[in-house]
Amino acid sequence: MNKQRKYRPLTIGDVLINAFMVLVVLICFVPFLYMLALSLSSPEAIINNKVSLFPVGLNFEAYHQIFTYPNFFKAYGNTIFYTAGGTLISLFMSALFAYAMSKRFLKGHKLVMMLIVFSMFFSGGLIPTYLLISDLNLTGTPWAMLLPFALNQFNLIILINFFRAIPAEIEEAAIIDGLNYFGILQRVILPLSTPALATIGLYTAVFFWNDWFNGLIYLNTQQYPVMLFLRNIVNGTAMVGDGAGAADKSTIAMSIKSAVIITSTLPIIILYPLLQRFFVAGLTVGSVKG
Amino acid sequence: MSDTTMVPKSPRENVTPRSSSSRHFRRYWQLYVMMLLPLCHFLLFKYAPLIGNVLAFRRYRPGMGAYGSEWVGWAYFERFLQDPAFWRAFNNTLILSFGNILINFPIPIIFALLLFEIRSKRFRKFVQTISYMPRFISTVVVIAILGELLSPSSGLLNRVLGSLFGMDPIYFVNEPQYFRPIYIFTEAWQYTGWTAIIYLAAITGVNREMFEAAEIDGASRFQKVIYVTIPSIMSTIMVMLILNVGSLLSLGFEKVLLLYTPSNAMVSDIIDTLVYRTGLMNQNYSYATAIGLFSGVIGVILVSSTNWLSKKMSGESIY
Repeated sequence: MNKQRKYRPLTIGDVLINAFMVLVVLICFVPFLYMLALSLSSPEAIINNKVSLFPVGLNFEAYHQIFTYPNFFKAYGNTIFYTAGGTLISLFMSALFAYAMSKRFLKGHKLVMMLIVFSMFFSGGLIPTYLLISDLNLTGTPWAMLLPFALNQFNLIILINFFRAIPAEIEEAAIIDGLNYFGILQRVILPLSTPALATIGLYTAVFFWNDWFNGLIYLNTQQYPVMLFLRNIVNGTAMVGDGAGAADKSTIAMSIKSAVIITSTLPIIILYPLLQRFFVAGLTVGSVKG
Repeated sequence: MSDTTMVPKSPRENVTPRSSSSRHFRRYWQLYVMMLLPLCHFLLFKYAPLIGNVLAFRRYRPGMGAYGSEWVGWAYFERFLQDPAFWRAFNNTLILSFGNILINFPIPIIFALLLFEIRSKRFRKFVQTISYMPRFISTVVVIAILGELLSPSSGLLNRVLGSLFGMDPIYFVNEPQYFRPIYIFTEAWQYTGWTAIIYLAAITGVNREMFEAAEIDGASRFQKVIYVTIPSIMSTIMVMLILNVGSLLSLGFEKVLLLYTPSNAMVSDIIDTLVYRTGLMNQNYSYATAIGLFSGVIGVILVSSTNWLSKKMSGESIY
């Protein structure tokens, strides 16, 4: 058999490397297992420190609590809105910009490219950005979350490089068929660019999903995203476990915290393995050859 | 025009290589229109704040607009350079950054080298997938998980330490001496697998024949790594180093902010958190802008000098 021929005995080195990698996998994964176990365990088990990697005294109370907690749903909904809206706006703007920038013969192309690269190393800083957002009257509106991040230089460069790699003959054929550049972008380039769009779409979605700081400085409580909700629970600024007696509160808080961690992180953990064959290529194109 | 000769393959270009300006615009106006909205957005949100840094030289007065105030020259710079809180934050930033680069720059390289040595392709894929999972997790979640793992009363780590070594519980998050290790460790946890992708791609691109030649010469596995793999990915390593040094002063600000407690302030107050507190919490806008501008300029100097040095020494540069 083919397999027989390739076979080499495992050396001590192989065993050590594999053992080390198992350790790495555990280190990356165990914290989530612990959170899951905490969120599903009974308060008695948590108070007596019995929970380690598996739930003890299976109990869905924490999930029941957060699902009946109106602020959690509100915050979760806000996050979904910011993520979907932000990613759509960002993909739209980036595709337009990158497609035009992929044409090196446009006048001013070099200057704009320089503007993009320079702004990667020197950014406006927290205070000027904050004052700009408030001068534009975006503070307290969802636009403060969506607009400032519609273009990201790294994502732009990934997309520009990707568009450049598409053979010009395809576009020439489209022009002969009577399409203008808007038509080409929409009907030829974008369909050919799903891997690149999926890559930067995932980056952008992850950014919006995980963001809390911009929510903190620009929004009011009703508009908070779920990560800020979680941060306020961790900080102790938001009350959890209202229905319980004082003694139970801290243990309930622990399992509720874990339940919020699990529910707010699960969508990303489910999403990224599906898209990973795209983003590995995207990352290497984008950051090294920049 | 030199522009047009550079890209002979672009559509229709080869038909009329020397078109006049007006013909150029008539032909390509749609591309310029496409660029218009995003470019305006880019200038507004990336460059207007950059210009907004003039605030560092002006006294901000509420209601007078960001730029409609009086010039004060270098006054704010002189003030923060004499402010002990600034120097404390400056030192903390440098120590934390250097510590972080020293430890977290080599780790992904080593990890990628080891990953490449895994025999089973399926196992390698599996390890990779799991190892970059933490990259997708919000800093808030990382810190929240950390809080539970390190909690003195019920945290997993204190329980393990207690039952194995009989140690008393340690309040890790509150003790200043653990702040830096915690920061550096969580950075490693979050980004090792992710950064390793770049190095792994570089290693995969190394010419197979070089390995075979080394093998014929009797090189051991370790020698192949030292004499073949590492020299071959040196350019990638240099580019990554420049990028790392360039962001020396801009640490993971959100993480530090989340880890900040009054009891670890001595070590956890960095430039970015100082800017946040003086600027947004105490509304001392001009003063905070001056501090922010200062650290931004140092960042640019760092990246360009590293880039220059690298160009001189290894011929590698990012621009």
